[in-house]
Amino acid sequence: MTLWHIAWNYLWNRKFTTAMTIFSVSLGVALITAVLTLREETRKRFEEEGQAIDLVVGKGNTLQMVLSSIYLLDAPTPPVPYSVYEQLKKEEDVTGAFPITLGDMAFRFRIVGCTRDLMTFDWEDPRYHPYQLLEGRYFEKPFEAVIGSEVARVTGMKLGTQFVGAHGVVEHTGTPYTVVGILQTSGTPNDRGVFTDLESTWLSHKHGAEEGDAEGEGEAEGEAEHAHAHDEKIITAVLVKLYSPTQRFEFSRKVLREYNAIPVVPVEEIRKLYDQLLNVAKTILLAIGYLVVVISSISILIGLYLSIIQRKKDLAIMRALGASRGEIFGSVLIEAFWVTLLGIGSGWLLSAVVCAGLNVFLVRQIGFAVPPMAWTPDIVTAYSAVMLMGMIAGILPAWQAYRSDIARDLAEL
Amino acid sequence: MVRMESVRRTLGPGVQFVCGSFHAPAGSQMALWGPSGCGKSTMLNLITGLLRPHGGKVCVDGEEIQGMREAQLDAFRAERFGFVFQTFNLLAPFTALQNVMLGMRFADVVPHGEWRSRSLEMLERVGLKHRTASRPNTMSVGERQRVAIARALVNRPKLIVADEPTGSLDPKTSDAVMDLLLELCREAEVTLLLVTHEKSIAERVPERFDCVGLVQESQS
Repeated sequence: MTLWHIAWNYLWNRKFTTAMTIFSVSLGVALITAVLTLREETRKRFEEEGQAIDLVVGKGNTLQMVLSSIYLLDAPTPPVPYSVYEQLKKEEDVTGAFPITLGDMAFRFRIVGCTRDLMTFDWEDPRYHPYQLLEGRYFEKPFEAVIGSEVARVTGMKLGTQFVGAHGVVEHTGTPYTVVGILQTSGTPNDRGVFTDLESTWLSHKHGAEEGDAEGEGEAEGEAEHAHAHDEKIITAVLVKLYSPTQRFEFSRKVLREYNAIPVVPVEEIRKLYDQLLNVAKTILLAIGYLVVVISSISILIGLYLSIIQRKKDLAIMRALGASRGEIFGSVLIEAFWVTLLGIGSGWLLSAVVCAGLNVFLVRQIGFAVPPMAWTPDIVTAYSAVMLMGMIAGILPAWQAYRSDIARDLAEL
Repeated sequence: MVRMESVRRTLGPGVQFVCGSFHAPAGSQMALWGPSGCGKSTMLNLITGLLRPHGGKVCVDGEEIQGMREAQLDAFRAERFGFVFQTFNLLAPFTALQNVMLGMRFADVVPHGEWRSRSLEMLERVGLKHRTASRPNTMSVGERQRVAIARALVNRPKLIVADEPTGSLDPKTSDAVMDLLLELCREAEVTLLLVTHEKSIAERVPERFDCVGLVQESQS
């Protein structure tokens, strides 16, 4: 029978109070864990995704360029001439250049005009297979489409299903697409993409613009760019894969010098986004989490303190049986340790449940899922801090028990 | 076994405990008898070291305890004394067996491997082998006091101090508990100091010490 066993028995003897205290600790821990997990894991996933592409070359806001071209999240940036792509693919540092056009939507999913090369490219990373087919084949001619797994799930489209794209509220009814392939779930933004060849997007825009001209309308969003599409081939951006990521900055400078376009390193943009904007949100949420833990620590303190007052008799008996003051102090501190440890454990599980629930939302919104039970250095640090607070909360009641007067407490029995 | 010489302890303003001389030989069974407030429990606390004297000597098993450091006294108390209280003082979260084992847990005089077997043996000796897994709140007062006696004796101490051990019991149970306590102490050749305010209980103990007059007004 150890002090751990004795402390555990006392906690078990007042199950309800103990459970409530553990629950309050677990709420704070769950909040802290969820914030840290989501922040760290989404950043990691964004960066992993961004790492595959060394540069995005296009025009407009750099963050918007990355979010729209790689993560299919934001509105497309202004177009660049197709000639930019043609020039880029001839560069000796470039191992792959992939033009994309964005602008149209199918249902609520982004239609990505691209080349077949993008889908069949060897990314040299065995973990990265964002364009593997689940069924069907890749597109071979205009108005054939390959859809992501989430698109297939939400829309119910199958091989052979026809659908039309839309630009804003204008539907390109004259140029329907046919589903020829469905991608495997990759846990990437591609799950939410509808992929077709560049020609399809140009043709549907041209057809739409002609229809618009005929009807004397044409003031929808992005119509200025559409006007260009009549005459020259345009694209939204070029995704560039270099021979080595170490060339990213040098090659960026070259693009800035020699091209009428802006190069962006996706990973850098994402880091900036996290450091500048999301850090504030993280700090606020963490502060709330720690506040909950501090309140929980106070409830540990109050719970143990009241229990010590009620247990003065038991402590005096233990002292009479030969327990030293140190053992009494230790047994109370161990109770604080158990409560905090169980609070951390249950908080971790609770955060896993919360993250698993949020994953459903994340997959639908950004195509990423985060591991619900992740360990990061930040989480380890946070748990150590929570444990320290719990132990500090245990010190006052333990001290109260330590300095109890046996003769007086026994006399009061 | 126990000797007190010129022991004095201030209890409050103008009140003090004074014991000129007291001696309980090893193996004796003695009742410290007297009405409430006469100083019986104070005397017991001084003998067990729970209270320190302000003057005089308290000698237990050949060792003067008034000068011992607290840790030394804790170990001495755990090793040499067994306690039986009026209100049993079993620890509620623990079973009867665990309560008896606790006596050994803190005393650290019995090898860990023997705790269980020795506790079972003691519970059997007090007639409670069938209640080893019971918690105190499910036991009768008589059973609780028998567990307390088992806990007091399990370390094979030199001295049992029993403070009003029958104070919470009905007369029939009281008789049974007294019989058991006296018999076990006799068997184990343990010195017994029993505090009681009931004359009938004191008379069952072979020797008696009248505590009247131990608490007096101080001269200063």
